[in-house]
Amino acid sequence: MATQKPRILIADDEKNIRFTMTHALERSGYEIAAAVNGEDALKQLEAAEFDLLLLDLRMPGMDGMEVLREAAERYPGTRVVIVTAHGTVENAVEAVKLGAADFIQKPFSPTEIRDLVAQILDRGHIRTEEAHDYATHLALAKRSINQRRLAAATAYVKQAIAADPGRPEAFNLLGVLQEIEGDRHGALKNYRIALDLNPSYEPARRNLSRSGEPPIPGTLSLG
Amino acid sequence: MRAILAGEGKTLYYLARQFTAKGHHITIVDRHPDECEALARRLEKSVVVLGNGSDPAVLEDAGARQADVLVALTPEDQDNLIACQVARQMFGVPRVLALVNDPDNEEIFKRLGVTEAFSATRIIATLLEEQAALEEVINLLPMAEGRIQVAEVVIGEKAPARDKTLQELDLPADTLVAGIIRAGDVHIPRGNSRLYLGDKVILIGRPASFGEALRAVAGEEA
Amino acid sequence: MDRSDLYIIVAGCGRLGARLASELSRTGSSVVVIDRDPSRFAALTAEFSGFHLTGDAIEQEVLRSAKIEQADCFLATTNQDNINLMLAQVAKVIYGVPLVMARIYDPLRSPVYERLGIDTISPTELSAQEFLRMITARAGLEPASALRNGR
Repeated sequence: MATQKPRILIADDEKNIRFTMTHALERSGYEIAAAVNGEDALKQLEAAEFDLLLLDLRMPGMDGMEVLREAAERYPGTRVVIVTAHGTVENAVEAVKLGAADFIQKPFSPTEIRDLVAQILDRGHIRTEEAHDYATHLALAKRSINQRRLAAATAYVKQAIAADPGRPEAFNLLGVLQEIEGDRHGALKNYRIALDLNPSYEPARRNLSRSGEPPIPGTLSLG
Repeated sequence: MRAILAGEGKTLYYLARQFTAKGHHITIVDRHPDECEALARRLEKSVVVLGNGSDPAVLEDAGARQADVLVALTPEDQDNLIACQVARQMFGVPRVLALVNDPDNEEIFKRLGVTEAFSATRIIATLLEEQAALEEVINLLPMAEGRIQVAEVVIGEKAPARDKTLQELDLPADTLVAGIIRAGDVHIPRGNSRLYLGDKVILIGRPASFGEALRAVAGEEA
Repeated sequence: MDRSDLYIIVAGCGRLGARLASELSRTGSSVVVIDRDPSRFAALTAEFSGFHLTGDAIEQEVLRSAKIEQADCFLATTNQDNINLMLAQVAKVIYGVPLVMARIYDPLRSPVYERLGIDTISPTELSAQEFLRMITARAGLEPASALRNGR
């Protein structure tokens, strides 16, 4: 089994995107199959085993969220990466709850999709239940911020806060995300929440003093 | 001072009028023929040039080589940016100022060589936020080029800070109560100093958290 | 990274932008085309396999959602010189895109931007050069006036 090439299924109704993803991933030595809609994707998942499903959320007919729900239940060995249009954070949060392993926002570069797929396949099979703890979500959020995948990062941060609302790190990261998106007011508020939770939490203090008026150029502290 | 104003609309007229009255030499660049005609009629002392301020030939006609400053005021950010850059780099105009319509571009313009970029959106937003300040605020004084603000705040009947000690106040981290004026005497406060009805409080802080500090002391709008 | 693996952003899907995007996509690059008018994307050929993004490229928000910080190449091909010049500078200076080119109808200002490492391409300049090249190539021919007078 170990010598076999990882198998990836791409489910997207747009021919362009299927082509772009196939083109980018083929050269990494994966075996690629494509599905043109949700029903087709489930049919192919039933017929053969896949390591990874790249799933577009918006497809005519059966939508991506439904496919995700079914796939997570019936084929737990297949990791699912959600492909979304930009700025759909709510969907991202929902998808993480349903067990999606990660997200990628359109448009993306060939390098970006290759790196993400490689990481997920490397990450091994963290079961979704295990992934629902604070530390994992926090780690995923930081990684997403570093890759500038902000919707995904926001989804992870919110999951981390839901898992443990009493710790400062996640609020600090939420502030960082808001600052990146240009919402300085919201960012300051969350840095303060982080400091209220733990007055000695240094990254939040640094972010707070750096982002005053006028903002002092400096690095965001992810903690 | 020799200034070129490139833009359109009424602002241009009033600015030119104000500056010529002070004895400055103003040249106006406007791309609308009808506006140019009206401006030339109303502003006898100003030179009016028809054309786009980002066009080197137009700027040259407008006397860019001798100008001390160019102000770009059109409603299109790209036109304002390019006008400033052409003025500075092709004609050596020492100061170039631009109106920024999209506040996101303020920082970008500065990084691309515009001496000063001002965003009407941001100025108005700041004014509104400062206005939200409260009748109880007697003076609002920006210091250190606006990086610090100082205000005198009266503790009113409904003020959240009334009858509380400073320690109990929910003040943002970068603000400070620097003095309490009670019955004409100035007290230097300590953490356990208590605020009473009618006290005047001297508040110092960074502008970003100043609104929050004012609300913590004097409450939501009066 | 090989040549067919580039991430390229094309701002403006007019005739030039659509042509470039289609051709680059056909040769294997990953291409994002931005235009504020979505009906313009119809000009892309069937071989175009990239992304299209509806929005005004002059807005930072739109450039960020195109993931400009990852781009290998940025082409400013809207129909306005000043927009192209501004976009090119933002791509080069703010986001550090390695290869940036802009289409400029009026070549007078090109030197200002070439100093910043932005290549400008002027259709007028290119056609003029081509005309001149063809005239020089055929300069061996006798002037028409000589032929006529010799009659």
